[in-house]
Amino acid sequence: MFDLSEKKINDSQLKAQTLDPSSGGFVCFEGWVRDNNQGKDVHKLAYEAYPKLAIKEGNKIIAEAIEKYDIKKALCTHRVGLLEIGDMAVWVGVSAAHRDAAFKACRYILDEVKSRVPIWKNESWTDGESGWVEQES
Amino acid sequence: MIKIQVLFFGKLKESWGTNKLEVETGSHNIEDLYLELLNKAANIPHKESIKVAINDEFVNWDTTINSGDTIAFLPPASGG
Repeated sequence: MFDLSEKKINDSQLKAQTLDPSSGGFVCFEGWVRDNNQGKDVHKLAYEAYPKLAIKEGNKIIAEAIEKYDIKKALCTHRVGLLEIGDMAVWVGVSAAHRDAAFKACRYILDEVKSRVPIWKNESWTDGESGWVEQES
Repeated sequence: MIKIQVLFFGKLKESWGTNKLEVETGSHNIEDLYLELLNKAANIPHKESIKVAINDEFVNWDTTINSGDTIAFLPPASGG
């Protein structure tokens, strides 16, 4: 399941939802707000989303991962609104019988979410300026 | 003429100076509508990088628009 959150991501709750008794492995990725980007000092940032389409596309990506890899469960939550340095921006968790599928599915979900889900990052820099960020690798 | 709503996100809000427009248009598809709206934009974004949606579904540029539709112009995603 894919979701958007206006509050801090509750990663322990998400992990509990991802665990599965038939799984021997759990892989997780957490993306955090860092204090620099493309040579600029970041003060804080805001994520804007097109919520209905974001949730639809995010769930499509998770369904693709379940179809493509031999995994049991996959969840992803992305923050929206104002975030501070160190805040968790995105959480992806996958459980699977074996590690290889779990690693690959986690990477797939993250990469696809970054490129396809309609969410946009607006950074505020320490020089007082702010701007929309282009896609990063 | 049909009445539609247009949504702009991310940097496109700055190009049009708003996140929402109510438009009465004679355009038949999204591409024609986009060309029509360019005269209201402060700067011209690259169309190649923009995705479009009608009523919360991704669609192609040649998709027909109908009265009451909500059309969204989406710049490249930058989440994560």
